[in-house]
Amino acid sequence: MRQFLLYVFVLLIPFFALWTVASGPLAIPAIGFVNTVLTHWFPDLVNTLYVDGNNALLMTEFGEKDGKLVALDGAEYRFGLQVNTRILSYSLPFYTALHFATQKEEYLSSYVWGLLVLYPLFMIGLLCLCLKELMVGLGVHFFEQPGVWVPDANLIAILYQFSVLIIPTLAPVILWVWQSKESPLIRMAFEKK
Amino acid sequence: MTRFITIFVLTLVTLFAVEMLNPVQQHVIIPFTSFLARLSAALILPFDSSVMAYGKVLQFKDTGFAVSIEAGCNGVEAAIVLIAAVVAFPGSWKARASAIVLGFLAIQVMNIARIISLFYLGNWNTDFFAWIHLYLWPTLIMLDVLIVFIVYLRYLSRSEKQGEAAAG
Repeated sequence: MRQFLLYVFVLLIPFFALWTVASGPLAIPAIGFVNTVLTHWFPDLVNTLYVDGNNALLMTEFGEKDGKLVALDGAEYRFGLQVNTRILSYSLPFYTALHFATQKEEYLSSYVWGLLVLYPLFMIGLLCLCLKELMVGLGVHFFEQPGVWVPDANLIAILYQFSVLIIPTLAPVILWVWQSKESPLIRMAFEKK
Repeated sequence: MTRFITIFVLTLVTLFAVEMLNPVQQHVIIPFTSFLARLSAALILPFDSSVMAYGKVLQFKDTGFAVSIEAGCNGVEAAIVLIAAVVAFPGSWKARASAIVLGFLAIQVMNIARIISLFYLGNWNTDFFAWIHLYLWPTLIMLDVLIVFIVYLRYLSRSEKQGEAAAG
């Protein structure tokens, strides 16, 4: 276990450094997916979600004047919400460090499978994050949309908390344990059970 | 393994939903978070006279930089993950209870180190503070949970072997 931990700590540094540089482009497919979902789900509310450096910008169909939310035609500018995608995507360098710190017979294909599991979780997390931003930013305008199903505020709050506080750190660990079932470290830990 | 993951996920979701309830937040989480802030302040103040503490806030007197310790910074979510893992894995309830209590302490020791380190980092550089706060420390806390759990599994395995040897 000591060797594994040493490798994890050593590998966390370069993988987190790489992710810091690449987190913007990495988020583009997720942002595109969530943009499609939100603009179809709330066409009267969401204008677009687009890449803004290392963040995403969620532009609404509302404007702002004197600090108040108003209809777009009477507004000084369009109301937008900044979304930090990194608070979700850091699961990727964490998983990468765990994966490559473990003794395995093969690394690449299981790593690709791991990313294929984690990336959809990142997409769903981003959707939950945007729902929470819309709920907090637009208030009653978000909940009172005629003919549109809007999730309950408590459900959005729980999904947001789960997506931000639990999934980014826990999903890589569960995935790593599952994929490393045959590694000496996990076999030794789970033996006889 | 499938059974373990199923029980783990169910326990995790249940405990997390309970943690989110208003009465639990009011009577357990918020007082516990305030206690952590006071404990962090009590650890810093004897060594650094430039620091003051009030409520959940730690502040430098000279620069004015302050951190407020909020729900989500209290290690409770990490503890919930550990509890779910320990409960999901077969073992005696005595061993489980010991693992939960000692694991909770291990998480909180790490969390206090996190709070104090972030307080000083923030006073030095706010960008660095944000990066370490949002991305690196959550990773390290989850690694702490993983280490505690693996140590617990090894302890269980050793106890069983010793029990078998004594019986044999």
